[in-house]
Amino acid sequence: MEEKKSQAYQLIFTIFLVLAFLTLVEYLVSQYLDSMILLLLIAFLKAGLIVNYFMHVYRLWREESH
Amino acid sequence: MRQLRILFSLGIVWALIGQAAGAAAGLFLVRAIRAAANLPPSAEAELVIAAMFSVFGSLLFSGVLTDWLKWCVGIETPLRHGDPDGLPAWTRYFSVDYNHKVIGIQYGVTSIIVLLVGGILAIIFRLELSWPGEQFLTPESYNTIFSAHGIIMIASILLGVGAMVNYLVPMMIGASDMAFPRLNAFSYWIAIPSAILIMAGMVIGDGWETGWVGYPPLSTIDGSPLGTQLFILGFYFNGFSSIAGAINLLVTVMIMRAKGMSLWRMPIFVWAAIATSLIQFTATQTVGAAQLMVTTQRVLKLGFFDPTFSNGLGWPAGDPILYQHLFWFYSHPVVYVFVLPGLGIISELLPVYSRKPLFGYKWVALSSLGIALVGFLVWAHHMFTSGMADVLRIPFMLATLLVAIPTGVKFFSWVGTIWGGKVTFETPMLFVLGAISVFLIGGLTGPILGTIPTDLHLHDSYWVVGHFHATMFGGFVFPFFAAIYYWYPKITGHMYNERLGKIHFWLMTPGFWLMSLGQMQVGIWGMRRRIYDYDPALGIEFTHALITLSALIIGWSVLIMIYNLITSSRTERVAAINPWGSRSPEWQVPSPLPEFNYYRPFEVVGEPYDYGVPGSVYVRDVPAAGD
Amino acid sequence: MSAAATHHDQAHDHADEHGHAHVPTYLETLRANRLGLWLFCISEVFLFVALIVVRFALWGNTRPELDQALGLATTSVLLISSYFMVRAEVAIAHGDRDKFLNSLLVTFVLGVLFLVGVVGFEWGLFGITFGDHELLKPTDGAFGAVFFGMTGIHALHVVSGLFLILMVYINGRRGGYSTERHWGVEACAIYWHYVDVVWVFFYPILYLIGTPVH
Ligand code: HEM
Ligand SMILES: [Cu+2]
Repeated sequence: MEEKKSQAYQLIFTIFLVLAFLTLVEYLVSQYLDSMILLLLIAFLKAGLIVNYFMHVYRLWREESH
Repeated sequence: MRQLRILFSLGIVWALIGQAAGAAAGLFLVRAIRAAANLPPSAEAELVIAAMFSVFGSLLFSGVLTDWLKWCVGIETPLRHGDPDGLPAWTRYFSVDYNHKVIGIQYGVTSIIVLLVGGILAIIFRLELSWPGEQFLTPESYNTIFSAHGIIMIASILLGVGAMVNYLVPMMIGASDMAFPRLNAFSYWIAIPSAILIMAGMVIGDGWETGWVGYPPLSTIDGSPLGTQLFILGFYFNGFSSIAGAINLLVTVMIMRAKGMSLWRMPIFVWAAIATSLIQFTATQTVGAAQLMVTTQRVLKLGFFDPTFSNGLGWPAGDPILYQHLFWFYSHPVVYVFVLPGLGIISELLPVYSRKPLFGYKWVALSSLGIALVGFLVWAHHMFTSGMADVLRIPFMLATLLVAIPTGVKFFSWVGTIWGGKVTFETPMLFVLGAISVFLIGGLTGPILGTIPTDLHLHDSYWVVGHFHATMFGGFVFPFFAAIYYWYPKITGHMYNERLGKIHFWLMTPGFWLMSLGQMQVGIWGMRRRIYDYDPALGIEFTHALITLSALIIGWSVLIMIYNLITSSRTERVAAINPWGSRSPEWQVPSPLPEFNYYRPFEVVGEPYDYGVPGSVYVRDVPAAGD
Repeated sequence: MSAAATHHDQAHDHADEHGHAHVPTYLETLRANRLGLWLFCISEVFLFVALIVVRFALWGNTRPELDQALGLATTSVLLISSYFMVRAEVAIAHGDRDKFLNSLLVTFVLGVLFLVGVVGFEWGLFGITFGDHELLKPTDGAFGAVFFGMTGIHALHVVSGLFLILMVYINGRRGGYSTERHWGVEACAIYWHYVDVVWVFFYPILYLIGTPVH
């Protein structure tokens, strides 16, 4: 139980770090590369991470037991 | 005294009071703020805020929000159901009620009332058009009245669709209600203030002149009547109703079907309802965005659609054509919202009256989805003359012609179903056959408009008017009336008057053919749409008089139906359990249905439309033991 | 799908003169609620995509000059708030009540900060300018219209999200949620993340893509 709990906290924090990193990358891309495709790809990646790990979209088809 | 108490227990009374109070509050607020900030009074800003507050006030006072507001502060509320305490049973039809059948009736009755309002407007401007020259309408009031007619009829259709979907779907799939009963009530109760806003637009602020499409620059230009704004906002808030209702329906069908009712064993109308909802809950958002943009442009001078902006620095200006794209991205698909439920009704009723299985069930089911999906790819066929990139014209033309395929599937299925059947001609069946004949006219005139070379000549002519009246009558009005007659015994427990029903049909159908073909003829001969006058030299005076005459006939025939519906529940015989010999679950039990639809849950054990197939069963009660 | 839903463990049915009603279990209701909320999210996608399309139609490959530091700051603030929101949800799901409430509060504060950044500074409500460029005005043609339109619609969603968070916080303090039953928290979280996802697209589309026009 305790272990599961700290795992859950860890997971969301890791995802958060990845998102923050990607945001920074976005900013740098716009300053140095100016590639629209890349920027949109990163945006989709970020959105995907949030939808999956923060919004738990999978709960729609996979019920988890409490 | 008691009458007064009853009157003030009615949600509808409170909704109206709330709307007035909200409008007053909004008006006062804007005046006060602008006075405090030393700004000159702005009628536009006052109107917008007052309209928004009026919708909220209506919702608040009617009581649809009460449960949710209580939830906000952590109070749990059980779902109220059954007849109201200490009040006559009929009052629940005029108040917030959560039962899907009550809400369905509320939608239906409101739809017919709104239909009458729209119809009266039509008669008014048809009389104006009976002769060339200016009769009794000024050009401006003509514009207001035809615009209002269009959008009010659309409101009526959306309400009618809500009526059919709400009343029929839970009953057909064996659910005791919709998935979210409170949201369901909300969908209905927000449609009321929206409709009132639209109608208020005709009176307050000098009407509007844009037609139902509300294109800028006419809708945004300085000095355009304030009524435009009310129409836009009414349109906008009505969208909430569509979206909430559609989401509710989709969830209901996804999780509340009876045991054994797989997707391929649902009544065909449910498929139509799904396709309709898929369109409603997505496309409505884009037209909502467009209406918001128009509003911000009018009130806050945001230049979305204003091409005249220039500050000498090369900054981009707005684009009025953009509105047309956003608008038609919704408004083409929405024509399928109007017709898909009706086409579903046709497929639902034909097998019953032909005593034969529905021809190609799966194809019909998929054609609804197909129409809904392809319908998203054709919107620019309304803009062939507006100016768009040349490369887009041909693809939009081809996509438009593609719609004919799934539509054709439906026609073939209908013909295949009737073919060799033992057809009987009760009123609902007559209306179904009338629907097919009329929709055929609409369907055949569509591809001619979808083809660019012909559309360039026919665009904005009366031909278009003929086309879309035929599609909407054939796809909605006729099937809606068929559905009303067909389920009338289920709703009231009594039969309707068959003789009056037949008279209604035999007045309305030839009347409509005449009107529709007349509109197309004057269109080809040079009559433009949306104008109060025409040149007698065109030689279309006689046909115009005929169109007006047939409009009057149609109007009278609808009044006959309303009379029939009102009186029959008292004067006609009690309906048999299954007067039509239907296989659908709701007809296997006595009418009217109880609060929760069924006394015993049923399960699906066979195919829905195996009429005339010996030994085939569709539904049976779930065995009592072993649950 | 349907059979599974109607014949769930504790589902009980009740029948009286009103007919037979299936009284859904908590899990069934939860399932319906989730579906409904996600459909709502999908519906709103069409609103935001419409706005994005408008942006590309009108701006093309240009954009107004906006303050990059401010854009990055507001974006980060919203992202951090999203993190605290999911932290709150994980906390309530594992019974950490204090952590739940505190995280929620942080989310709220960050949300307000985001609004201050966008509406206060970017919209020029405070009249403060950074750098050498002037603030964008709503009436500045397509630049003004699209920028204020998109941030405005988004801000409306932020405000309604803040309202939800506040409600969940108040109910949470009263002990309205348990480890097993906290749909309110979950719904609020999904909505808040959704608002963040929208900004994930709006940020590059408004601030980063295209060449700035002076
Ligand atoms: C067979 C498939 C159909 C085709 C190919 C088709 C094609 C078209 C085209 C090209 C126009 C634009 C004409 C113009 O303004 O120049 C049009 C107008 C219209 N159609 Fe259809 N249509 C079809 C079916 C329908 C259906 C099923 C409806 C349902 C109600 C419908 C309702 C309308 C309406 C309301 C308009 C007029 C909109 C306006 O300008 O106010 N159509 N149709
Ligand atoms: Cu169309």
